[in-house]
Amino acid sequence: MGNCLKGSTADDISLLRGSDGTRDSSSSDQLGPPPPYQEAMPVYYPSPNVSRPAAQLTEEEQVKIAKRIGLIQHLPAGTYDGCKKNRECVICMIEFMVGDAVRYLPCMHIYHVECIDDWLMRSFTCPSCMEPVDAALLTSYETN
Amino acid sequence: MTALPRRIIKETQRLMQEPVPGISAVPDDSNARYFHVIVTGPEDSPFEGGLFKLELFLPEDYPMSAPKVRFITKIYHPNIDRLGRICLDILKDKWSPALQIRTVLLSIQALLSAPNPDDPLANDVAELWKVNEAEAIRNAKEWTRRYAMDN
Repeated sequence: MGNCLKGSTADDISLLRGSDGTRDSSSSDQLGPPPPYQEAMPVYYPSPNVSRPAAQLTEEEQVKIAKRIGLIQHLPAGTYDGCKKNRECVICMIEFMVGDAVRYLPCMHIYHVECIDDWLMRSFTCPSCMEPVDAALLTSYETN
Repeated sequence: MTALPRRIIKETQRLMQEPVPGISAVPDDSNARYFHVIVTGPEDSPFEGGLFKLELFLPEDYPMSAPKVRFITKIYHPNIDRLGRICLDILKDKWSPALQIRTVLLSIQALLSAPNPDDPLANDVAELWKVNEAEAIRNAKEWTRRYAMDN
């Protein structure tokens, strides 16, 4: 049954049961190579504990998410310059390497672009100091 | 099965290399996202001398969402209900991916030292904690003796 691989719940279950892998491999033996990977519909987080596929968002939530995507694009990004002060991205806990794509939040905390953008789509706060990013962004606009 | 993220491997290694005093967290043999946790009751709290078992699970999108943590040992505490569920802001709306298994367990240990009956999860316990703290503390000590010692 190929379609039990879709959806996040199937993943959760397979994490809890280590034996699932064997069943999967035997069924794919019979069916030949698996069909090409189909990207599932993107899931958004209108509030920290609410996740919904794009098609099920209310209009209000769509606006909120669109605004958020817009704001994220305004946050400065660059490449890691080897600065000794920030050695490790606290989200993935992997050391920054010179040339990594990083994003600078208004509070001056830095993260890998991929890591922080994933978080900002759920909560618009800095993971390290919990400062709301949009308020800080507006203040920095006003002072400049 | 998705590969285990580097972060989970790192956190597990660091928990083993530099354990937190009074806390042990050991990953399950068959599931590296499931931890068997033991927290010792803090000194000068009604839980002193007790060993409290908890379970901790790192969901698929950890660290974007908080670990799921639950007391297995019965405990008399205004912020922990009879199913062992914990009312703690960092496990819910105040979660941040800068927090770790280590900091979550330290916060839970701190919650044992500082019960907060104004933000209750176990209503009867919180009520007694507010109207008759001495009796609530006696109950908490009794439960600690009965459920969290010698086993």
